[in-house]
Amino acid sequence: MSEPVSDKGLHTRDLTVRYGGLVANDSVTIDVEPGKVVGLIGPNGAGKTTFVDAVTGFTACEGEILLDGTRIDALPPHERRTAGLSRTWQSGELFGNLSVAENLLVAARAGGWRTLVRDIFVPRRKKSDDVVARALDVVGLGDVADTLARDLSLGQQKLVGVARALAGGAEVLLLDEPAAGLDSMESQSFAGRIRSIADSGPGVLLIDHDMSLVLGVCDTVTVLEFGKQIFTGTPAEARTDPTVVAAYLGAPVEATHA
Amino acid sequence: MGTILQFVVLGLGLGAIYIGLGTGLLLVHRATGIINFAQGAMAMWGAFVFAQLRLDGTLVFPIGSIELERRPPVAVAALIGLATAFLLGLLVHYVIFRPVRHAPVLAQVVVSVAVMITLQALVVLRFGPNNIDVDSLIPEDSFTLLGADIPTRELVMAAIMVLLAAAVWAYLRFTRAGVATRAASENERAAVLMGFSPDRLAAVAQVVAIMLGTVAVMLGSSLTGLNADNYTLLVVPALAVLLVARMESIAIVVVAALLMGAFQSLINLLITKPFWPQWAQSGLDQVVPFAVVMVILFVQGKRLPSRGSLQTVRLPDVSIPKFKPIPAVIMLVVGVAALSFTQGTWRFGVTTSIIVMLLALSYVVLTGYLGQISLAQGAFAGAAGFCLSKVTTNWGIPFPISLILCALVATGLGMLVALPAFRIRGAQLAIVTIAAALAIERFVFNNYTLSPPEGNPIADATLFGLNLGVREGRDLARISFSVMVLVIAAILVWMFIRVASGDTGRAFLAVRANERAAASSGIDVRKTKLIGFAISAFIAGIAGCLIGFSRGQLSAESFSVFAGLQVLAVAYLGGITSVGGAIVAGVLGPLGIVYTLLRGVFDLGEYYALISGLGLIITALLNPVGIAGATREQVAWVKRKLSRSGPPPSTVPEAPAPKEPSRV
Repeated sequence: MSEPVSDKGLHTRDLTVRYGGLVANDSVTIDVEPGKVVGLIGPNGAGKTTFVDAVTGFTACEGEILLDGTRIDALPPHERRTAGLSRTWQSGELFGNLSVAENLLVAARAGGWRTLVRDIFVPRRKKSDDVVARALDVVGLGDVADTLARDLSLGQQKLVGVARALAGGAEVLLLDEPAAGLDSMESQSFAGRIRSIADSGPGVLLIDHDMSLVLGVCDTVTVLEFGKQIFTGTPAEARTDPTVVAAYLGAPVEATHA
Repeated sequence: MGTILQFVVLGLGLGAIYIGLGTGLLLVHRATGIINFAQGAMAMWGAFVFAQLRLDGTLVFPIGSIELERRPPVAVAALIGLATAFLLGLLVHYVIFRPVRHAPVLAQVVVSVAVMITLQALVVLRFGPNNIDVDSLIPEDSFTLLGADIPTRELVMAAIMVLLAAAVWAYLRFTRAGVATRAASENERAAVLMGFSPDRLAAVAQVVAIMLGTVAVMLGSSLTGLNADNYTLLVVPALAVLLVARMESIAIVVVAALLMGAFQSLINLLITKPFWPQWAQSGLDQVVPFAVVMVILFVQGKRLPSRGSLQTVRLPDVSIPKFKPIPAVIMLVVGVAALSFTQGTWRFGVTTSIIVMLLALSYVVLTGYLGQISLAQGAFAGAAGFCLSKVTTNWGIPFPISLILCALVATGLGMLVALPAFRIRGAQLAIVTIAAALAIERFVFNNYTLSPPEGNPIADATLFGLNLGVREGRDLARISFSVMVLVIAAILVWMFIRVASGDTGRAFLAVRANERAAASSGIDVRKTKLIGFAISAFIAGIAGCLIGFSRGQLSAESFSVFAGLQVLAVAYLGGITSVGGAIVAGVLGPLGIVYTLLRGVFDLGEYYALISGLGLIITALLNPVGIAGATREQVAWVKRKLSRSGPPPSTVPEAPAPKEPSRV
């Protein structure tokens, strides 16, 4: 485990989640620095989504969560989002009855009393933002901006989820199986998009079952098993680490994705 | 001590009725996942049939009746009453509740509210609005304990209901069908695996529930006499009891029901004491269920079980409105024309329609856009109306400041009611809001110290010397008043369109679609709900003030729980998701244009409540987008037909329609 070079980005310290007697996350310590892609892998039920839920405030947890050096573990979910911590959902969770562009605008423009007054007295003339177009461009879905979100395929919905997480700015992106609905070709180009997102600034935490995607694109990889962090290191180390191979990969990765 | 004991026992009679209704509610919820707001109304029909048979030997059906030659013996009358309840239970299950078993909670709440107002209206039509006195089934006797007369009737009633509840408990606990019903409440497939049809189990539960309630009402009807409004609303304390029992335990339902009855009875003793302030005497017993509901929901909140079943039906779609000058001008011209070419009762009808349109608009904001259920809109309007009476007559605050001030009072009340919505949603929110509405109605509107029985006069509005009063001499609806209503309505609709098409409206729709996803997109869900309740209550408050101005004074009936529910009925009927729907609702609404037509031309005014209830049932079952939504879909379909002779609408909705202009 390497010490963070700066306190920029997302850092968790001994993050622990308990559901009754079950320890779903046991002292997980992860660093997602700006510009880096960190993979979070592990078998089903290892606690990956629980970790994302805890970090983003949807599940109660113990331990510390720091964003750019500030404790955020007491903040409600929407404030963590406005602080720059952005996530996607395993099941898409788009606003089905809104268009893709509107889905992104929800994230890009905060509501509130002031917005209400402005809506009544000085409504925005310009209905769509460059923010929306840029975020859609990043995931390569510029042409579906006006489609209703629920009319998209699941794969596209997840990509829109990524765009929505980007819209309005994000310091750190937590992507929960964003590529699960994509075929291998699309998955390849998605890897490139994740890389370019990270290169443009934000840190990325990537959960996915597609090993070639995760090991190909990530700078470091963390492996969870039954809530325990059993490995953190580079993809190359992960491929050969005996505990990782035994717990998750089953066989050396080179053989599985040939 | 003796007096206290006496009042406790007296309260057990009421408690026995709560056992009947509460156990029924629990059973139906277990079997169908539906919280049946019509439980009280359904249970009272059979009891009314029974009471009328014993009174004069008339067997009353929903349509028609048979005069029996002699009054039937008690047992026969009771059997006929129960048989009616049995049939009603089957009918309601197969025709109404079964079709919505997988519908969104909103539709289920609306359907059961529709059944509730329909049956209430039917009872009033068939049995009359007055109390029917009923002889007790149980011999009225008493014994002396601690120097007080203790009635045996209430004790026997409570004992019978406890035994019946125990029988239901045994059914759920020990029979295979009962176990399957409990399993079905977790997962419908489990019941199928046990070899039972969840649907059949639900029918059994529905029938047992209504018969249990009917027995309770028959026994209890001798306490205060049968009254359609009161017995329909007894469901509110029963719902509080259901929440106390976490919708699971019949044993707790029984205990909580008896405690609730006893406590309400003790309160009636308390308020007769000289030290008790006079202003807090009326309706205090109705504050109890509300307080209980609030405490339970705040303590247990999200831990209350909710049924895990897939929702296969979406909420009605919302189309983001756009301000279009030409239709707006046309609507205004139509409005002015409708007001100028009518007079007297007709102009009053048109004016009332405009006001009801605003009330419906308050539902569009809250339910259509934000997806929250409120059964308290009538109370918001009423609060503003009563405030207007004080503000104009006691303080002499001029129009339009008075109007805005009172609407802001309603806004404050709305934001208060929004607080429970932070933690709960769906049917539970409906329970809170109907309990709040009932508490406000009984504790404030019907409170003679706060609202004198001789009426709450409201001073006419004037603006820059222009008289905006509603009446002058024999003119029932002056044109200047009606135009003022139209102008205010137009301003509010225009503001609504701006909000709905702006960032706020989008945030509402996001919260409605998915609260988790909204929060993860940076939306403050609580604040958004607070804003939605505030806007909705503000609009309802303005409407309440306009109702006040239009009557010249206020009475509690204008803002009763039922009046509020009737507006919900027409709002849903018109279309809960659009301004167009609100306008249709206004036309259909209580005392509006259609009502005036029914009364004036067809002489059917007394059937209005029944017709609107039935209309709501049909809409909720067949056409959840309402009249306006269905019209819009048809217009869109015709447009598509004309533009590219596309396929019929049954195949269109799945495919994105790239030709439609961007709404962004």
